[in-house]
Amino acid sequence: MNQWEVFVMDMSELAEGKDIELSIRTLNPGLQKYTYKRVKAQVSSAPDKFADQLQVRLGRGQLSPAKYSIKVIEEIQRIPAKYL
Amino acid sequence: MSKINAPKSNREFIEACVKSGDAVRIKQEVDWENEAGAIVRRACELGAAAPFMEKIKDYPGFSYFGAPLSTYRRMAISLGMDPASSLPDIGKEYLKRTNSEPIAPVLVDRKDAPCKENILLGADVDLCKLPVPLVHDGDGGRYVGTWHAVITKHPERGDVNWGMYRQMMFDGRTMSGAVFPFSDLGKQLSEYYLPRGEAAPFATAIGLSPLAAMAACAPSPIPEPELVGMLSGEPARLVKCETNDLEVPADAEIIIEGVICPDYKVEEGPFGEYTGYRTSPRDFRVTFRVDCITYRNNATMTISNMGVPQDEGQLLRSFSLGLELEKLLRSQGIPITGVYMHPRSTHHMMIVGVKATYAGIAQQIAQLAFGSKLGPWFHMVMVVDDQTDIYNWDEVYHAFCTRCHPVNGIHVYKNTTGTPLYPYATPHERKYSIGSKVLFDCLWPVDWDKTNDVPTLVSFKNVYPKDIQERVLANWTTYGYPQVK
Repeated sequence: MNQWEVFVMDMSELAEGKDIELSIRTLNPGLQKYTYKRVKAQVSSAPDKFADQLQVRLGRGQLSPAKYSIKVIEEIQRIPAKYL
Repeated sequence: MSKINAPKSNREFIEACVKSGDAVRIKQEVDWENEAGAIVRRACELGAAAPFMEKIKDYPGFSYFGAPLSTYRRMAISLGMDPASSLPDIGKEYLKRTNSEPIAPVLVDRKDAPCKENILLGADVDLCKLPVPLVHDGDGGRYVGTWHAVITKHPERGDVNWGMYRQMMFDGRTMSGAVFPFSDLGKQLSEYYLPRGEAAPFATAIGLSPLAAMAACAPSPIPEPELVGMLSGEPARLVKCETNDLEVPADAEIIIEGVICPDYKVEEGPFGEYTGYRTSPRDFRVTFRVDCITYRNNATMTISNMGVPQDEGQLLRSFSLGLELEKLLRSQGIPITGVYMHPRSTHHMMIVGVKATYAGIAQQIAQLAFGSKLGPWFHMVMVVDDQTDIYNWDEVYHAFCTRCHPVNGIHVYKNTTGTPLYPYATPHERKYSIGSKVLFDCLWPVDWDKTNDVPTLVSFKNVYPKDIQERVLANWTTYGYPQVK
């Protein structure tokens, strides 16, 4: 089980029942903690629906009491090839 | 110029501060996740000694130095002055040095550059190998750059820019940063690199000498490498980067090299800001890709923790911004007595003392200041007369509340340049960096008769004959009062 966190301006960004793109950061302990990945994922407001936990913060860092779960489908490489 | 004995590196500065009691060595292990930030924040809010944290969880061999210039004492030490120097004296010294002849930097061989003691290239590059702190709980990420210089060079004009643009670790090879469109780097990206779709080389230098950090923070038109020389009285030592042609401070603790991707943005923020709030929300901002990291043995990462006053975001910026505005006004022949920005105004209010010899002088001052390159960083100008001590808030506040006419003395300027960081600005204004400004003219109008129209200030110094004042002062303790310091 992994722990992730996402920042949203509005909770509606976490649409359920479909694949969405998100930038999520890992909360797993270790040197990589708080680093980001861009992913295609499904999320649920039911904390137990998916194996990984998703914590939510709003645009200015306010921690939401909502506890989501997340299934990461794939990692997305956004960066243009010329910069790789 | 007499010999200046200023610290030449971050390490010399820490030693000087420890010796004077202006820094404290913390031997016990400190967590990079919130704990180090909380120590720095509390030190700032108490005006306490700067924390030198010698043992960091997960990062053996690294250390932190927090709140490097959040007091005037440490600012005096950085300039090689007596820590007890007064603010006006520190300001005079800054003006004297920055009005002197430019001192060009020297390029040193890489073997003489401590910042090259460790070099990470290729697959070894990983920002997570550095003790990047989570400065405030709820920040958008761990911030690599809070007290540093982002170094770039215009590819055609060749002018070098060192700026303190905050940088967040997005992943092990990527940082994102807040670069405003009106800043030197912002203009360079939008005017040159973005239209061409070219990557812009950059280097981030962390753990600078305090005067190099002061130069990176100062809104001076003097190129920063020369400004460092003028402030310290000797040439800044620079060394070539490993992966580009930029030159970086040889004695810096950590150097991060790479390219800015002008047409590719990733999320940045939120972050605790110098205004004392998290105002600008998470947004897509400038992306820095990292190609190389070099660092000294036992490198010290510097941390500025911005929040409510006072930290160096307010103190140093108020200091240098105010003095650069003073230079601007003097260059235009305005008969000012001085310019001061109180750190607690988060450098939003410029207080100007002036000998009002002609009509409209307050508006002339405000229009020059607001219209300058420095204008986006503040939105209030208060102009008082030459009899008011601009460093004494009690006197300034009295002048404001008694001489500023509610109709004739307050002038509002709309639709100016602002920043996304202004807490009072509307969401729309923040998104598009739209500002507004106000002038508080606290001068007696020049068309008032000085004898019959201008009220008389009723104070001990102003209404009693000199011999009476001297008698009262001489007998003060005899009357039964304690000695006034």
